[in-house]
Amino acid sequence: MDKLKENQAAYYPGCALLTIDRAYNNSSKLVSKKMGIELVEIPDYNCCGIGEMKSKGAVSMYMPLRNMMIAKDSLGSKDLVMACSVCYHEFKRSIARVRENQNELSAVNGLFKETGEFKDEYAPDGEARHILEFLYNEKGVEAAKKNTVKPLKGLKVAPYYGCLYSRPSMYTFTDKKPQMDNSERPYFMHDFLEAVGAETVFYGNEVQCCGGRNVIQDEETSFALCSQTLSKAKKAGADVIALICPKCAGALDVNQPKIVEKFGQDSELPIVYLTQLMALAFGFSKKEAEFGDMISEPLKILKEKGF
Amino acid sequence: MALEKNESRPVAEKGEHIIARHLIDDDSIKEEKNLVIDGVDVSGRWNTFILSRVDSEFDRSFFNEIKETVVGSRINRCWQCGMCTASCTVTPLYRRFNPRAFIYMMQLGNLKELKKYIDVAWRCVGCYKCSQRCPKQVNPAEMMEALALVVKKYFPEEVETKLKLDEEVKKIYEDMILGHGRLDLAKLHTSSMQKAGRAKELLGRIERDAIFKMAKDGRAFSILKLGKPRGWGRSKDAIENYLKNLKTIERNTD
Repeated sequence: MDKLKENQAAYYPGCALLTIDRAYNNSSKLVSKKMGIELVEIPDYNCCGIGEMKSKGAVSMYMPLRNMMIAKDSLGSKDLVMACSVCYHEFKRSIARVRENQNELSAVNGLFKETGEFKDEYAPDGEARHILEFLYNEKGVEAAKKNTVKPLKGLKVAPYYGCLYSRPSMYTFTDKKPQMDNSERPYFMHDFLEAVGAETVFYGNEVQCCGGRNVIQDEETSFALCSQTLSKAKKAGADVIALICPKCAGALDVNQPKIVEKFGQDSELPIVYLTQLMALAFGFSKKEAEFGDMISEPLKILKEKGF
Repeated sequence: MALEKNESRPVAEKGEHIIARHLIDDDSIKEEKNLVIDGVDVSGRWNTFILSRVDSEFDRSFFNEIKETVVGSRINRCWQCGMCTASCTVTPLYRRFNPRAFIYMMQLGNLKELKKYIDVAWRCVGCYKCSQRCPKQVNPAEMMEALALVVKKYFPEEVETKLKLDEEVKKIYEDMILGHGRLDLAKLHTSSMQKAGRAKELLGRIERDAIFKMAKDGRAFSILKLGKPRGWGRSKDAIENYLKNLKTIERNTD
């Protein structure tokens, strides 16, 4: 493959974004392109391990780092952009660990040597970037403001960051670098939403967990946590909740009919991705932003509000 | 909003003001109706006392076993402040889920105590609030993974009975990730529902609606196109080889 040109960035889609969460994938690409950066998918990527491989020693670091190697090998990019918070966490964790632990780095390199897929050894010089943090730092709120043609006036949005975008700072380095988001009270999403004309509401569960990790084995916990988030946001007057993670969508959006069945109408609230709202404000159609993909039917409220 | 069912506490239970009440034996709590110390009347919650105890059966080999793993490598740093439990997402739902206590038991090698909590030990949702706030960077969220490894090694029968579903779902994840290099979310969902004995629900209204929606807009078919990364077989072999030769408790036993 050709090396990256200027205004292009290597992009890791992950397993969810190419399949059921195409809304997030497509809208992320649209928004980035409009703001001046084209996302180029890396070839032959593999799953990041989604947190299920953590108790498997160096394998948990090999899985994400193989993708970093591909980005460097085929696109010539040290950094890799991704939109899923779980992937982001796995990449950040692996990079932070091999940076500070020589044994783990050599164990990972042992695996790379055995496969013989890449010529060079892995050196932890690249960074994993979350799309939110990436756009905020590379292009800034001004670019979002400049590209807004259809401000989302009158739309009340509850930003939901979830767990792994900002935590733990020992891996994500939030709080530690001046340009990174705050760990306990992230604000990048708030800034973007306000830049495109929407109104943000405070509801107290911005960095709460959705229980998405155990959503299959321990539905009860996940439903209890989600219903709390949904009803708190609804009570605060939000029209929609904005997400930045497909796993949160699995818990809050796909499971919402079941949560409503169990906890009542208080837990019924449309769910969208941040990038979908930004795409809408940048002049793309609702079809292009794939609002119809969401189970919780955000189209209804958007129509009501006149977008 | 406690979710735990078998935790019906009578109103005036002994030592009911103690937050981690389940960690203390009934005999170790001393309560007086009207207690006067040095002429001062101490009533209410101030007249509950916990007898001091001595933990003497240390098993340091157990401690080293955990320290050698990737996830449990920081166990020696914990000084038992309790910030992890105070931050925990799961503790308010399951009072017996107490990361601080689990780490303490692991430090002491107290398998007898750990055994009592097998049913809640894997309720961790991995939200990393504990690791974010831990003043010693112990990384309690990953320590819970180490706990799972320990439980799996020392209590295989209990894992087989009490954590059957957790184990089976984890196995589905691992087989899919290692075998194919990518995750097929539709297959993951249907096979886990089958394992949980809830395959019938897939035909219920809510599931059916979602499946129909995804078939209509074409997403159901994009899953079929996901495929395998080129050359994944080599990675698979290398990983399997690595797991077979590991010397720590992370080693693949089957």
